[in-house]
Amino acid sequence: MSLEQKRWIIAALGFLFLLSLVYVQRLEVARKHEEAGLAAHAVAVPANSKACVDCHRQNTPGIVDHWRGSRHARAGVGCVECHQAAADDVDAFTHEGVLIATVVTPRDCSRCHLVEAQEFQASHHAAAGNILASLDNFLAETVEGGPPAFDPHSPTPGKAVDAVNGHASAFVGCQQCHGSKVAFLATDGGRVSVDELEPDAAGKPTNLAAVGRILKDQNGKPLFHSGTWPNTGIGRLNLDGSRGSCSACHSRHDFSPRRARQPENCGKCHLGPDHPQKEIYEESKHGVAYRDLRDAMNLEAKEWVLGVDYTQAPTCATCHMSGHRKNDGKVTHDPGIRISWTNRPPVSLVMDTDVNGRIVTAADPEERARLVVSTAEEKRERMKQVCSHCHTPSYVNAFYQQYDELVILYNEKFGKPGQAIVGALTENGLLTPTQFDEEIEWTWFYLWHHEGRRARHGASMMAPDYTHWHGMFEVAERFYVQLVPQAREILAEAAEHGRGAAARAAGAVLDEILARPEHAWFVEGAEDKTEAIRKAMEERYGQ
Amino acid sequence: MANPLVNWFHERLPLADVDLRELTNEPVPNHLKRWWFALGGTPAYLFVVQALTGVMLAVYYQPSAQTAYESVRYITEEAAYGWYLRSLHKWGATFMVAAVILHQMRVYFTGAYRKPREINWLVGMTILTCTLMLGFTGYCLVYEQLSYWGAAVGANIAGSVPVVGDFTKQLLLGGEDYNERTLPRFYVIHAAALPIALALLVAIHIAVVRLQGVTETTFKDDAKRESKTFNFFPDHLMTEVMIGLVLMVILTALASIVPATLGPPADPLTTPEVIKPEWFFYVAFRWLKLFSAQAAILSMGFIVFTMFAWPWIDAWIRRRTRFSEASVWIGIAGVLAIIALTVWEAVVAH
Repeated sequence: MSLEQKRWIIAALGFLFLLSLVYVQRLEVARKHEEAGLAAHAVAVPANSKACVDCHRQNTPGIVDHWRGSRHARAGVGCVECHQAAADDVDAFTHEGVLIATVVTPRDCSRCHLVEAQEFQASHHAAAGNILASLDNFLAETVEGGPPAFDPHSPTPGKAVDAVNGHASAFVGCQQCHGSKVAFLATDGGRVSVDELEPDAAGKPTNLAAVGRILKDQNGKPLFHSGTWPNTGIGRLNLDGSRGSCSACHSRHDFSPRRARQPENCGKCHLGPDHPQKEIYEESKHGVAYRDLRDAMNLEAKEWVLGVDYTQAPTCATCHMSGHRKNDGKVTHDPGIRISWTNRPPVSLVMDTDVNGRIVTAADPEERARLVVSTAEEKRERMKQVCSHCHTPSYVNAFYQQYDELVILYNEKFGKPGQAIVGALTENGLLTPTQFDEEIEWTWFYLWHHEGRRARHGASMMAPDYTHWHGMFEVAERFYVQLVPQAREILAEAAEHGRGAAARAAGAVLDEILARPEHAWFVEGAEDKTEAIRKAMEERYGQ
Repeated sequence: MANPLVNWFHERLPLADVDLRELTNEPVPNHLKRWWFALGGTPAYLFVVQALTGVMLAVYYQPSAQTAYESVRYITEEAAYGWYLRSLHKWGATFMVAAVILHQMRVYFTGAYRKPREINWLVGMTILTCTLMLGFTGYCLVYEQLSYWGAAVGANIAGSVPVVGDFTKQLLLGGEDYNERTLPRFYVIHAAALPIALALLVAIHIAVVRLQGVTETTFKDDAKRESKTFNFFPDHLMTEVMIGLVLMVILTALASIVPATLGPPADPLTTPEVIKPEWFFYVAFRWLKLFSAQAAILSMGFIVFTMFAWPWIDAWIRRRTRFSEASVWIGIAGVLAIIALTVWEAVVAH
């Protein structure tokens, strides 16, 4: 072989080598960019979802892009894996030759995430749909709304309005957090929901007559009742009998753990005048630290274990759900297992729970011992484990003492008395059986449902302003300036209208409460204390 | 008339001009005028770039499991020109490996390893090995998730080598597994042991070239030239300097356009979904995936041994068979296999 030939061989191989090097470097740079979080991970679309992705990339590119950025996509979990349906699923329909269902329920997710789904089903989150039988729902459906459909009373220029949906506030408000009872339209004009379908343990409908009433379009796709779907409420009552919606926290279609770890995610529902946990957290030292240090909190970590992946600040997920160094990184999808008080009802309850996870309210110690399977103290110890990553035992115990004392103060001074006063008026027939048709019922609702919760939640998460000014201060104002005068007015009016016995009986309850030492300042005055304060102010400010 | 300054030096350094000229100005064969015959000088130039940028990075780098990642982050994000130095070092490493391989290819296909240059081939192969080891240990120092797991996998592979495996793994890691002594060990190997070894090897390599002279290769157009040689200084040196300057421009451009990135920090408790070494180990990594561990390691050992011993194997083939050009065809097959395995490993996720 001549030297000239070898020269060309070297040139060709050298060129090929350099060319391959450029190509390999391009791939390597792309890979490193992905690893550094500067670019989305490359995704291989699973074969069974290729047609879905090709079409939806044109029609709904947002869904496809979100999915491409998900761990699902990286793990080869495509559209079909979640949306696939069996022929005997009530919501199954054929779409482009594939049998699928629109709503993905926790039962579907449990095919891969069984432990998480089981923990979630046992949680208070999964029971959030119980609001459908609560005062809040009465407010939305009746007080704020009306009959399911009633006639408009005047035209709306530019819009043809045939009927008013009296449940619109419930559908769009309450149920978007608490969860709807997902329903199909029925051929008879009604709805077909889980109540009619009566699904078995496998989620298959047992009432075939109800299945036959489901209204479908010309392609055989069942039509949802628009008030109940779309819905990502956390306690959604699904057609297969499962409760909840994983996408309430793990927003579709990227199901980002990073997002679920951030307080803003919980803030979709845990905010506002009645349970401002998000705002309370933001006011606390925890929230302040999170705002400052979130970039260093390794939110993308696979496991995100406190004490291993981060220590800068806790988020909602950290304290209530996430794994930590002291529990071997075990995550829970039941946020209730670390909570020792429930501050949701008018009077806070200790979170001793029975075998079904329900709070045991029995007062008898023996009965409590028989019923309680998980004590509030056990739950508190779990939370203390989390706290102990940053705080000493004495610090944590002292915090819990402060918290307990605030809750008990509210319970004893305002919660239980308020409940007793309104209860006495109701039992003695001085209030109508209808809720919210009398001023004192609104007053009491504001006191416990808004201000009382703010005070207690504020104390639970170290937010002084919510504990005091948005909380106990407003509770006190509501109690002394509104509830008590309104009760007295009702009693006086009853006495005036010949219902003296009832007024005396209810009045005795009110008087007994106001005779207690903590209310003495209101009844007897507190001139000595007022004078002491006046003098102190004069010394401090000269006025 | 002698310059007083020159006289001053001559009195203190008794070196005659003619000796100095002979030392720096050796006549080299005409074929060296071709740029691809300057590939021997290119890795040497890149070695200097790596040494200079490496010293500057060492100012900030802190070799311990607790501080390594943070110090690399500091270099990348906060230190003045830190990102530039780190990117130059990263791309310089890639170029150096590529230049050594290209030089080796040129030497191989032109038969420049044959008698009496077998020893320099051995030195060259050792230089290639040291360069790859520098690349491996350097990437491990970043202590990001992939570099950590890359090091763990690399050490396990080394540990699988029969007879010397356990000892090699212990030597690399300073224990049975990756531990707090491992990173300082990699640092010493990367920043002291290997550079000193490489500098000595390069010196020996050049000394042997000077002693034996450059292999004379005459192309058709060389025959027309009046002289068979030209001066190393300044003629050939200028070619090398030009290549060096062009390389600097390319390195700067790459450092600016595609700077070195930093993945998530090492997490010994979480195995990444995908582990890949640096690109120059793709060929070995793919080879390992094709066969059982034992078969792959033994066959790789055999291939490496064959590469080292090639001058004698080639001589034996030429002496005993009619296939005098067998080395060319084996070389073509080998280079194509390396390219194919590297690209294969690059394009697949696992």
